[in-house]
Amino acid sequence: MHGRRLPASFRDPSGFVFEEDGVLKRQVNSSYRPSYDLLASSGLLAALTEARLLVDHREAAPDEAEARGAYKILVPERIPFVSYPYEWSFGALKDAALATLRVQSTALDHGMSLRDASAYNVQFVHGLPVLIDTLSFEAYEDGAPWIAYSQFCRHFLAPLALMSMRDIRLGAMSRLFIDGIPLDLAAGLLPGRTRLRPALQIHLHAHAKSQSRHASRGVARNDVKGRFSLKAFRGLIDSLEGAIRSLEWDPAGTWVDYYAEAEHYSEEAFVAKQRLVRTHLEATRPRVVWDLGANTGLFSRLAQETGAFTVSFDIDPGAVEANYQRMRSEGDTSVLPLVLDLTNPSPGIGWANRERATIAERGPADLCLALALVHHLAIGGNVPLPQVAEEFARLGNMLVIEFVPKGDPKVDVLLSSREDIFDDYTREGFERAFGESFEIVAADDVPETKRTMYLMRARSQGSTLEASEQRDEQRENERGSDEP
Amino acid sequence: MKRKVSSAVFVAYLTACFSLLVIAPASAYIDPGSGSIIFQAVVGGAMAIGLTVKVFWRRITTFFSRKRS
Repeated sequence: MHGRRLPASFRDPSGFVFEEDGVLKRQVNSSYRPSYDLLASSGLLAALTEARLLVDHREAAPDEAEARGAYKILVPERIPFVSYPYEWSFGALKDAALATLRVQSTALDHGMSLRDASAYNVQFVHGLPVLIDTLSFEAYEDGAPWIAYSQFCRHFLAPLALMSMRDIRLGAMSRLFIDGIPLDLAAGLLPGRTRLRPALQIHLHAHAKSQSRHASRGVARNDVKGRFSLKAFRGLIDSLEGAIRSLEWDPAGTWVDYYAEAEHYSEEAFVAKQRLVRTHLEATRPRVVWDLGANTGLFSRLAQETGAFTVSFDIDPGAVEANYQRMRSEGDTSVLPLVLDLTNPSPGIGWANRERATIAERGPADLCLALALVHHLAIGGNVPLPQVAEEFARLGNMLVIEFVPKGDPKVDVLLSSREDIFDDYTREGFERAFGESFEIVAADDVPETKRTMYLMRARSQGSTLEASEQRDEQRENERGSDEP
Repeated sequence: MKRKVSSAVFVAYLTACFSLLVIAPASAYIDPGSGSIIFQAVVGGAMAIGLTVKVFWRRITTFFSRKRS
C-alpha cells in the first residue's frame, strides 16, 4: 500500500488517515459505507460544511478508492497547524466544546449522532473550531442514549470546570490523561461549591458516582434502549451547552499586570523594535511563523500582516487567553494562540508516544520570532546559550531574535534573586553560541536600549552535524594534548 | 429566567445529591461506559422536562416582549 498511515489513526475500523506525496487523505472503509452515505443523503454533510463546523473535503477519483479496496478516498482541507487541547487557552477549549455540541445538535436534526466527542477531533481552521473526523457519525437510533456523553464530559466539561473553578493551570492535566480527565478525579478536585450548580452536580459529580457504581456491570446501549427519548437527548445537549456557557475565566482578575504589553520600553524603542521585526519579515516573507514567547501576540500580528500564518506561543495561560479573545474579536484568522512552556514543550504522547506529536515534529517553521525571550531561557531557566541556539535551529529555518544583555532592567530583575553564574551571557558570548547553529544575517541595535535584534539563518542539518563533529574532534584533540 | 427554567434540572440535582452520597474511586482498567449509559436513562426524564419548560418559557417571554414593543 502506498502512503504513510498517520500514527494517531488506528483505532477506528471505519477508516484511517494517511499521507501520500505530501497530501493528507482519509480512507473510508466499506464497513462505514451506510453511515457515510447517510451523512451525504441526510443533508448533514452540507449543513455542517456550510456552517463551518466540519472540515471541508473533496472526494478523490473512484478508481483511486477501488485500487485501495476502499469505499471512498477523501482529501480534506489541510489544517495549517495541528494543535492539542492541552495547548489551547480556556476560551479555545470552551469554543471547541460548544462547536462539538452544535455538531451533535445539527446531527440530531438530520437523524444522525456523534459516536465520538474527543477534543482531538477538533482543530482550529481560519480561527474557528471545526470537527476534522468526517467518520464520527452514525445513524441515530430511536430511544438510545448518547454513546459519547462520558467522553464529552471528560474531554471538555471536566477540564473547563477545573480551569474555571479551581485553577487555570489544571488545563495541563489534559496532557496527562489522553482520553480526558477521569470524572471521579475531576469531581474530587473541584471545590464543593460546584455541587450547588445543578448542571455541574449532574454531569460531573453524580455522573462520576454513577460510573463508579456501575463500573463492572457491562451495560450496553441496547439494555436501556427506549428509556432515552429524542427529547431527553436534546435536553441533555441543551443542559451541557448551558453548563459549558456558564463556565468562565477572566485573565484580567489575576494575570493582567503580568502580561501587560508595556516592557518598560520608551515609545521610540518600541516603534524601532517593531520596524526592525517588520523589515526582517518583509525581507524573508515566511509562510509559517512561530512566535515563541508571544505574550498577547503583538508581534504575531506583524507577522500576520506580512501574510504569514502565525502560531503564537506563550507560557502564560492569561496572555494566551487575551491573545485568543483578541483573535476572535478582530477576526484575524491566521493567528493561532497556544500555551507552551519552551523549557518543557509538548511531548509525544499516547500509544507508542506517537499519537500526539511533539512541537518539533510539527515544524520546522519558516521563521521563529524570539523577542524578549532569550534571558528567560538562559538566565531564568539555566539553559546554556548553545543549547538554546540548537533548539531554535530545530524549530525554525530562520530566526529573528532579540538579545537582552545584563544591565537591561528585565535581566537585572532575573539576576536580583540569584547568583550571577552566567559569565558567557554577553553579546559576544551570544553571537559565538548562536554562530554555531546559525549564520548571522543582520544585527541591529534597538535604539534607546542595550538590546540587539538579529536575523539569522539556520545552518543546514548537515553542516550543523559537521560542526558538532568538528567540535567533538577538537575536544578529543584537546583532551589528547592534556595527557602527559 | 434561567433559574425558573431549570426547576426540572433542579429535581434531578436533588435526586443526584441524595441518592449518590459516597464516591468510590473508579478502577482504571474498567470501562466507565456502563455508568454513563445507565445515568442517562436515569436523568433523561428530567432533561426532557427541563428542555420543554425552557422552550415554553422562552415562548412566553417572546410573546410578552413582542407585545410590549
